[in-house]
Amino acid sequence: MKRAILILMALAFGIWSNAGGGEAIASRAAGKEATSEPLLFDTTRPPAEVTTPADGWSFRNHVIPVLTRLGCNSGACHGALAGKGGFKLTLRGYDPELDFNVLTRQTQGRRVNRNEPSRSLLLLKPTMTIGHGGGKRLDVGSLEYKVLSEWIAGGLTAPAESDARIVGLELSQRSLTLGTGAEAQLRVIARYSDNHREDVTRWVKYSTADAGVATVDDDGKIKVTGHGETAISLWYQSNVSFARVTNPWPREIRPEVFAASPRAGFIDDLVIARLQQLRIAPSDQSSDREFIRRAFLDATGTLPTPGEVAGFLADQSPQKRTKLIDSLLAREEYTDYWTNRFADTLLVSSRLLRDNAMWSFYNWIREGVRTNKPYDRMVREIVTANGNTLENGAANYYVLHKETTELNENFSMAFLGMSITCARCHNHPLEKWTQKQYYQMANLFARIGMKNGTRDGDVQVYSNPFGEVNHPRLGRPLPPAPLDGQTLAFDATIDRREHLANWLTSPSNPYFARSFVNRVWKNFMGRGLVEAVDDMRATNPASNEELLAALTKDFTDHGFDLRHLTRTIMNSAAYQRSATPNETNTQDERYYSRYIPRRLPAEALLDGISQVTGVPTEFAGQPPGTRAMQIPDAKLANYFLTVFGKPPRLITVESERTAEPSVAQALHTINGETLNQKLRSPGGLVDSFVRLGVSDEMAVHHLYLAALSRPPRPDEEARLLAAIRQSDSRRQAIEDIAWALLTSKEFLFNH
Amino acid sequence: MIRLDAERSVSFCDGMRRRDFLHAGALSLLGLGLTDHFRLKAAGAIDRGREKNCIFLMLVGGPSQLDLWDMKPNAPSEIRGPYKPIRTNVPGIEISEIFPRMARQADKYALLRSCYHTAAAVHDTGHQMMQTGRLFQGGIEHPSVGCVLSKLRGPRGDAPPHVLLPRPIGATGGNMPHGHSAGFLGKQYDPFILNSDPSQPNFRVPDMLPPDYITAARTDRRRRLREMVDGSVAELESAFKASQDARLLDDNFNQAYTLMSSAKMREAFDLTKEDEKTRDRYGRNRFGMSCLLARRMIERGVRYVTINMFETVFNEITWDIHGSAPFSPIACYRDLVGPMFDNGYSSLLEDLHDRGLLEDTLVVATGEFGRTPKINPAGGRDHWPQCWTMLMAGGGVRGGQVIGSSDEIGAYPKDRPVAPGEVAATICHSLGIEPETELPGVQGRPIRVVEHGINPIHELF
Repeated sequence: MKRAILILMALAFGIWSNAGGGEAIASRAAGKEATSEPLLFDTTRPPAEVTTPADGWSFRNHVIPVLTRLGCNSGACHGALAGKGGFKLTLRGYDPELDFNVLTRQTQGRRVNRNEPSRSLLLLKPTMTIGHGGGKRLDVGSLEYKVLSEWIAGGLTAPAESDARIVGLELSQRSLTLGTGAEAQLRVIARYSDNHREDVTRWVKYSTADAGVATVDDDGKIKVTGHGETAISLWYQSNVSFARVTNPWPREIRPEVFAASPRAGFIDDLVIARLQQLRIAPSDQSSDREFIRRAFLDATGTLPTPGEVAGFLADQSPQKRTKLIDSLLAREEYTDYWTNRFADTLLVSSRLLRDNAMWSFYNWIREGVRTNKPYDRMVREIVTANGNTLENGAANYYVLHKETTELNENFSMAFLGMSITCARCHNHPLEKWTQKQYYQMANLFARIGMKNGTRDGDVQVYSNPFGEVNHPRLGRPLPPAPLDGQTLAFDATIDRREHLANWLTSPSNPYFARSFVNRVWKNFMGRGLVEAVDDMRATNPASNEELLAALTKDFTDHGFDLRHLTRTIMNSAAYQRSATPNETNTQDERYYSRYIPRRLPAEALLDGISQVTGVPTEFAGQPPGTRAMQIPDAKLANYFLTVFGKPPRLITVESERTAEPSVAQALHTINGETLNQKLRSPGGLVDSFVRLGVSDEMAVHHLYLAALSRPPRPDEEARLLAAIRQSDSRRQAIEDIAWALLTSKEFLFNH
Repeated sequence: MIRLDAERSVSFCDGMRRRDFLHAGALSLLGLGLTDHFRLKAAGAIDRGREKNCIFLMLVGGPSQLDLWDMKPNAPSEIRGPYKPIRTNVPGIEISEIFPRMARQADKYALLRSCYHTAAAVHDTGHQMMQTGRLFQGGIEHPSVGCVLSKLRGPRGDAPPHVLLPRPIGATGGNMPHGHSAGFLGKQYDPFILNSDPSQPNFRVPDMLPPDYITAARTDRRRRLREMVDGSVAELESAFKASQDARLLDDNFNQAYTLMSSAKMREAFDLTKEDEKTRDRYGRNRFGMSCLLARRMIERGVRYVTINMFETVFNEITWDIHGSAPFSPIACYRDLVGPMFDNGYSSLLEDLHDRGLLEDTLVVATGEFGRTPKINPAGGRDHWPQCWTMLMAGGGVRGGQVIGSSDEIGAYPKDRPVAPGEVAATICHSLGIEPETELPGVQGRPIRVVEHGINPIHELF
């Protein structure tokens, strides 16, 4: 264990990788040239050996980080909204100017005493020299004491606009491979706008994504606790980065296993490389029967008919899976499926829209999906939407979001895959987003005008020439800017939403395409490369960062083409793997060594039941024959869909849709009217079997092919035929067999 | 209506012939997949023994300490708020005038006036910490105490060990888990969730019984056929074995059959068995009816009931009195939320006491935080995790006492601060769960039920 630390310490001084402020992920360049600039100081040295900077300690860059490390400005202490004990700091120092005034001007300056620094309350309290409700936080001999007392003695330098700003964090290691029980010390250097560098290891805030793999303490010491991989994230003055810790499983897998596993392109190269690194063997490939059912469900939310299954099995072409994928992408059901997904994200519902407006929005989305409108264009049209909502369906997005903070937050979830809600009230505690950025972003939406149109349900959306959103604490608006994008002057002539769209849909935007690709990937692979898909923080890295980057690049290189992305994923060997685990990958649900079984979405389940039983479901107000996947309105009430987790579309959040089983679902399947009525419905499949005198064998075969896309096994068939023969009611026996098939895991799950 | 006799004999796919019996309980005797624990207990009547229960009332939104249970009548008006204190049946204890019924039975509960937590002042963190004792970090979701109990004790007879009424907490702004589920223990220990509003006039648990055209014999045949189909493809079975959701689905089906076959549990959910006066006493609203249901659950062997008083804080009148839309005004305490709680809570304590169940049943009522001492410009109060009051009754707790106190404006604990971990430890203590019990955590690493060094609030007992 000791040796591991020594080696890592040696590495620490040799190789420094580089993580630029916001592009921590984009510029992943392990082993980039070490910067030769010497350190201004080094917090890992004993306090006496830490040299005081020639210009003295800076309030912004040193005092605030020290207060943050000590926890003074945490939410539990003086960082609370109302402060503590009459002393209030901004949460984690998000407003240095304000904190400076509080420290030096309030209480007649008793908090700091220039003549006798050690008599300052700022030092007396946390050292418990005098009573402190927060207990002892500071040692007299510590580096933090030295910084605070020297800053006081040195004349209380105020924060200034000209202060150097952090431009990036450098880590001793971006990636560590260690065994269980091993320990390693991270080191972090902050790089500043004036090119100087400081070792800030002691003052960084560390956290682990998966404490089951590795933990990290306040000083950046990592301890490996289990197998797999985790990210250690770092937060330092609203700059973020992360280091990856990998602990491969302790087993040997012959290289041939990986070499022999099929590959269809860059996805497979990158997936297999990852599996090899972690020592997880991939499962075998799926059979044709498994594949056709899976592909139909994932791409279109429908089951293949027995005829389609037979045709596919009979096809001798080596390209038949690719051909099937292409044909699925051309189907109306593909359009329905993805329209429904977009409608979830965009909250299409008659809750806040009149029926005609809701339809207008839905049809606008559907037309975009049908014609394969590039994703960047589609979103641009929403962001910049103006005009009458009955004519330009996209403009309804703003009718659904009349409140600016709600719009700002749902918008970020929908198109950036991240929650910025924390930053509404204070700087984001885990992210680089500040409250100022939040309100700069919100101000982009300040000039959306709306008035009633000429017809009922119609709203005219337009761009106002005036209007600002105030920053609540500052009481004034801030120049509009899209998160970390370019700031716009208050009087800029460009439409603010135009500016937002330019930033958002640019191929170089690090969040936009990436978050969409991650959502699409999850649709097919069962798990996002980043989980949760709407938690795309820079400190929440992908399980396979190279793969997500490559997919994103491929997507933008191909004009933000959803069908291209779908095709690329579905043709990969990773997608086409069997769901059956081998002895090395039973635990793996993260690295795509096998297909992850999951329950069908509510709509696909109901449509599948309707299809197999031959009895369509009627939905109030919808034309006959409407499938559940085609329902435009989330407000339409259907118990089956609700209990199986169709989202209500109230706020944009992935967890609104659930595929998790529940007792209520089981009870509804067993006793509920939905399935039971379809099984006994006149004109339904079972009824037709009985009336047309279909043989027992044929009935059983047909039911299996329709529901499970496979024929019964001989033993199954024998038992089922016996059950029919022994039953007093042939009709009821067939109904019960159909019930058993439609409630089996094999039916309820995609696999 | 369940029919009680057979029309004919039916056959099963295993070739055996059985009488088509339909009496309640038949399914459970036939049905497989019940735990060994159940098998042992099913033989006799419910043996409650000395085992304790818990009803946990999650007062979603965050009730104000200053307007309810920790009043400061001598503080300036912008602190003390609009309500006045009244005396209770315990000398020296005063609570808000909006709780006249609670005031008459202060001898049954203890007030803890020095609760606090140190996490972010959003609803979700408090929900997590109050129900599990811990804040979720490092990707680890901790189980609620009710789920720990399910794991350690299993069901008592055919009653699910942990029931959640009426629905899980939805969005409250933080997009985080709320801590009612089993977390790392696995979904099979999640609570049974009612997912239905018991105050609706024709309330029933949906689909508890088969439609009349499906006999019990058919239900049983279907179950066997389904199990045969599921078990017939070995490769798929191993894929499903590795899937937590697939395992959960099997558990859900077993649980559904257990519920269906138990006349006792079906009746537990049947509020028409209670007379009109009783229902009025609890209050004909979601919370009141959930309290009544909770009593019926405990009477029938459920070990732990979680009640969420509200599902969200948006566009609903709740304890979350920011004073401005989409949240609630302070007046709603007197007009709606206060009476709702007073009736539900008081009736629950009365009934448990009258039935001799209170001694065995800990009743916990807490919000996720308190509210700002100073009334805000909108006339409301904002989130304040630094200090609030919670209530504990029954389960060995000595009523009529006050634990801890707050400072003169209800801003911080003055003495005996109570952290969420101590609350969870106290619930465990009352339930007889040893704090050092180890649970299988991530990658099998043991996690203690109660963190080392955290103790129950012994002076309560």
